[in-house]
Amino acid sequence: MRRLLLTALLASPLLASFVPAQAETTLSPPHFPSQSLLGGYDLATVQRGFLVYQTVCASCHSLNALHYRDLEAIGFTAEQAGGIAALANEKPTSLEDRFKSPHVTSSAFSGATPPDLSNLAAERPNGPLYIYHLLTGYAATPAGTTLLPGHFYDSGFPGGQIAMPPPLKGHDVAYADGVTTSLPQEAADVSTFLAWAADPNLDARRQVGVRAVLFLIFLCLLALATKRRIWSETV
Amino acid sequence: MDIEAQKAWSDRGWPDLAVWRARAETPSLAREQPYLDTLPALITGTLLVLAASGLVLAVYYNPWAPYASVQFIKREVNSGWLIQSFHQSGTTMLFGAVYLLLFRGILLRLYKGSGEFVWLGTVALASVLLLTGWLGYMLSGGAVAGASLRQATLSAETWPGLPGLLASWFFGGPHGPGTLARLAVLHAVLGVAVFALVLLLRTARKAMLPAPGAHPVTFHPYYTAQYFVAFTIFALIFALFAFFAPHFGDNPLNAAPANPLIMPINPTPPWFLAPLSAIRVVLPGDAGGVIAVLAMLGLLFALPWLDRSSAPAHRSGFLYRLLVVVLALDVIALGFAAACRPSVTAVILQIVFALWYFFHFLVLTPLVTALEAK
Repeated sequence: MRRLLLTALLASPLLASFVPAQAETTLSPPHFPSQSLLGGYDLATVQRGFLVYQTVCASCHSLNALHYRDLEAIGFTAEQAGGIAALANEKPTSLEDRFKSPHVTSSAFSGATPPDLSNLAAERPNGPLYIYHLLTGYAATPAGTTLLPGHFYDSGFPGGQIAMPPPLKGHDVAYADGVTTSLPQEAADVSTFLAWAADPNLDARRQVGVRAVLFLIFLCLLALATKRRIWSETV
Repeated sequence: MDIEAQKAWSDRGWPDLAVWRARAETPSLAREQPYLDTLPALITGTLLVLAASGLVLAVYYNPWAPYASVQFIKREVNSGWLIQSFHQSGTTMLFGAVYLLLFRGILLRLYKGSGEFVWLGTVALASVLLLTGWLGYMLSGGAVAGASLRQATLSAETWPGLPGLLASWFFGGPHGPGTLARLAVLHAVLGVAVFALVLLLRTARKAMLPAPGAHPVTFHPYYTAQYFVAFTIFALIFALFAFFAPHFGDNPLNAAPANPLIMPINPTPPWFLAPLSAIRVVLPGDAGGVIAVLAMLGLLFALPWLDRSSAPAHRSGFLYRLLVVVLALDVIALGFAAACRPSVTAVILQIVFALWYFFHFLVLTPLVTALEAK
């Protein structure tokens, strides 16, 4: 029993350290490790996704739940986060401020309001994949389909008609880590970033979870062994 | 002071201690009681976890900005995400245990042989918890909760007479900014008041303990060891939900904020309310839905008298047990039918499953128990 416990103690940090290691977004087929049972976020992908959000999406979509200080959680230093805040806002900004909320006139997109993106990835089953398909789903209107005025055909959007013009071109940003930009790459990166924005504590939750579950499994076995031993001594 | 002097000192000031010690040390319990007899204790433990985590949530919750304050708890409060997921997964564990307790009570006919009070207490507990669970879901401020609350408050406004007065008093009128402040108080009060029911149920269960038999055992260490095993298994399942599936059985659309101008495309309730939500379709109108839910719970209350057999508890025929298993599958199917996208097929399935529920209790139970008693 003691050997078992020792093994468990050794195994728990090992297992927990495997969690971020297997995190790598793949494009074909699109796969988001954070959506699997033990996967986590790849911070490089999240940072690239933030760049796409900041360059493309932020001109219309707010991200009200995030503060500039939250960027430290995805690997930026306080100075870098401060620089990002200063670039995004004309007025003086502190790390405690929320992300800048863009002003969109109500008539801009045929009356459709760009939604806040804070929890978008949590609002659908497998939300990152939904966002990925929406961003890559723009296509020529199929024959026999009449679009509403000011709408675009998008096979990834329920109903197929969306008021948002195709946001990604495939060369909107230049990645600092040398990853080649393409439309699917940008879409996957920004989907991963929005998954993180909707559930920033996922990595911590799963790391605590693996430890808690291993501990409870051994406590369970110990309790069962104790119970059997106690009951075997009844007269 | 030696240990004997300490005992005398504490027994003089607090006589209950001596009673409890004597009870734990007297061999008075039957051997080999099943693990599932620990369910009421596990339910009590879960209620304590929910009360403790609920207290932390209540400190930061702002019913005037419900969605924003839940976001604040999950993102800004230290370990708030953990406390929130304990509260949500605790609810899942609580209703899992309550539904299992009800199922076991029906299967083994535990409501017979002067077990009626335990059974009535269990059904009352389940009913109050379902109401408390619905109120708690409303507090999330999500789109699905908002739609459910609007529907409930607006239809309550149209009820005539006493039910309308009661509903008006409960909700304080149509859905408005102050509604959730009221529901937050009711959720907390019911969540604490439910402990009174737990105590009542405990008293009723103690009167129903099985005969100790030839070789009785003491509570400690024999049953404390057994309770500890049950507790660790329960805690393990709880940890799996809390850390790996904190949103189990919840409609993802509820992650969006409530907006009175947007109706969610598929406003399905959390899993523990799904069977009740589905059974509403058997009677037309909002009032019909309320009557159907009340009838669903009322049949459980009436079960000791719907069972026409006079055989004692733990004795039931094969056909009866088979039908109870079918009933459990029927209730699960009701839940799944409620979670489907709204369609004609889903509504027809809901009606079929709901009618089977009523058919089971009103026709099959009296018939089969009377036949098997012969």
